[in-house]
Amino acid sequence: MSAGRVLVVDDDPQIRRAMKATLTARGYQVGDARTGEEALDKLRSETYDLVLLDMNMPGGGGMETCRLIRSSSDIAIVMLTVNNTEQDKVEALDAGADDYVTKPYSTPELLARIRATLRRLPQAPDEAGLQQLRLEGVEIDLPSRQITVRGRTSRLTAKEFDLLSYFLMHPNKTIAHRELLQAVWGPDYGDELEYLRVFVNRLRKKIELDRSKPRFLVTDAWAGYRFHLPH
Amino acid sequence: MVSSTGSSTNFASESLWRRSGRLTFHLLVALSLVAAITFVFFRLIHVNATTVGFSYLIAILVIATLGGLLEASVSSVLAMLCFNFFFFPPVGKFTIADPQNWVALFAFLATALTASQLSARLKRQRKAALDRQREMERLYTLSCAILLTDTKQPTAKQIAHQIAQAFECPALALYDRSSHEVYVAGPEILPNIDAKLRESAVRSSVLHEESGEILITPIRLGREPIGSLAVKHAFMSDAALQSLLNLVAVGLEKARAQEEVNQAQVARQSEELKSTLLDAIAHEFKTPLTSIKAVTTDLLSNPGEPLSQQQRGLVTIADEGVDRLDRLVSEAIQLARIEGGKFKLNRGIHFPRSLLAAALRQTKSLTDGRELKVEAAEGLPLVRVDAELIEMVIAHLIDNAVKYTPQGGPIVVGAHASERGVIIHVTDQGPGISLDEQSRIFDKFYRGSGGEHLKGTGMGLAIAREIVRAHGEEIWVKSSPGKGSEFCFSLPIAPVESAE
Repeated sequence: MSAGRVLVVDDDPQIRRAMKATLTARGYQVGDARTGEEALDKLRSETYDLVLLDMNMPGGGGMETCRLIRSSSDIAIVMLTVNNTEQDKVEALDAGADDYVTKPYSTPELLARIRATLRRLPQAPDEAGLQQLRLEGVEIDLPSRQITVRGRTSRLTAKEFDLLSYFLMHPNKTIAHRELLQAVWGPDYGDELEYLRVFVNRLRKKIELDRSKPRFLVTDAWAGYRFHLPH
Repeated sequence: MVSSTGSSTNFASESLWRRSGRLTFHLLVALSLVAAITFVFFRLIHVNATTVGFSYLIAILVIATLGGLLEASVSSVLAMLCFNFFFFPPVGKFTIADPQNWVALFAFLATALTASQLSARLKRQRKAALDRQREMERLYTLSCAILLTDTKQPTAKQIAHQIAQAFECPALALYDRSSHEVYVAGPEILPNIDAKLRESAVRSSVLHEESGEILITPIRLGREPIGSLAVKHAFMSDAALQSLLNLVAVGLEKARAQEEVNQAQVARQSEELKSTLLDAIAHEFKTPLTSIKAVTTDLLSNPGEPLSQQQRGLVTIADEGVDRLDRLVSEAIQLARIEGGKFKLNRGIHFPRSLLAAALRQTKSLTDGRELKVEAAEGLPLVRVDAELIEMVIAHLIDNAVKYTPQGGPIVVGAHASERGVIIHVTDQGPGISLDEQSRIFDKFYRGSGGEHLKGTGMGLAIAREIVRAHGEEIWVKSSPGKGSEFCFSLPIAPVESAE
């Protein structure tokens, strides 16, 4: 059985070959693309679970490609880049990536990131009795991953969905950063606060009326985040 | 142009002989006119004394109008004497028979002198008005010229030429304090003027040279002298000179501001170029490194097809080589960015302990299997730093400690509060550093004698020092040979306020 379908997007042929060999040996089905444009074409005609996207590519760079993919799809995206500054990480996550790996990467690390990104919450929210929620003008439809605020509907990516589900399963309780990271991304995570900052921000964009004054997704300084569910 | 009004001063005067020569000529003409009238009425046309007297008066008015007060006064006295000698009986003597004629004679003298005075004053006023008008025109021309200076030549040089042209100065020198340049204009040369111009600008005081022929005056913007001006034969009023200096000050300041804008633009462009270049180099080096690293780590970690012990050993060598090359490239880029001096500190409020924890996570692969102690007191004050960069500093110090500590020696990483702020320290039990080496250890590409030579890049401590300095803090080392080393640096305590 396939571990998943991965599209490798990188302008360097050697990196594409190395990734294909590694991933195929681990049971993934792998396709590849040399440019952002080619990647968008392939995503339209073929089905993938995850895109490994190089940030520095000629033509439409990785960042722009990431935004374009995200505008029409909630596929998992892991970005690869040679810079490991905080600013670059946040920019990649802001563009819609689910995770971020610095080049040169080690194969075990890359495989772990892919697994974490494809990982789903062990317990589905509908099992916890959550189906649809209607709160003060906001409509959350979990089975179809859709959120409607004042008639404007947006879809959640898989990681956003998992994060929101975890919040909804533990309403009105401050959840520590580490607990959130380990529950949603996996046991290897715990210190990547920038992931939480960006993903909480992305969720706020979709469920809050005013992102700067969140009513639902509240920051508890130094401790973590809390989902405020009115009774 | 001689200005002789009381309200204005000549800063340099025309040479004396030219003035006295002209005066002598005027006097000769005036006296000749009086003599001619005397001759005509005494020898050629015989008229009564009243007619002669009026004729003298008309002549004196003409002299006062065309000449000056002195010429008119001398002519008045001469005319009175001639009038007395030739036309009042007894003729041919300076005595006067009829007392009525005494009255007439003094009335004539008084009228002549008063008329001379009035006429001369009118003339002076007209001349002063004309002078002011000319100065205004010249200042206007100059202000237009200063507004229209271009960037092909230094502005100060253009201003100097414009002043010399507008005011017809024979020699002029302008000192621009911002560029430390002296620009000269005009056909004549001012000898040894540079030092005097600088003196005038530094002391902000007016100097006179060569019996008042050359005036050297500071150019001030507000109270600050921004240059100085030396002019030969500056025949202009105080007010005009002041306006001129103000105009020059504004012109120089405008040029300086423009220059600053241009320089900032050039600096920004070169910084952008450098950054683009570094990114390109980073990409070019790291792309092949990525494929090698992907392969070596894949071979080492693939549980499906494990390597033989010999193969594993060989692949590990390649893998370590990739890591070293990667670190070298990363550190060279870090150092170049930091030394460019333009990197921005992204300061935030942080717990010292979390900075230590993050650095320890980053260096986990280095410290695995080493004895590592963390000594961070509870309740340390929060610090205001760029966390990413400070974590990099701690990581470099840990990396350094690992390199120079023989296998098994403990490494201590800690933080404590002191008067200087929060001090982070990294201590090792390595061979220590001699005093001589301590002074050079933070220099770029310097590598200590005690460690494994091949592993270091010689850039880690230089990067650490630059980052700490950018925070306005200090880094230092306490060590003696054989007793290990302690590297310390200080962090600024955050002002008390709430934080996320």
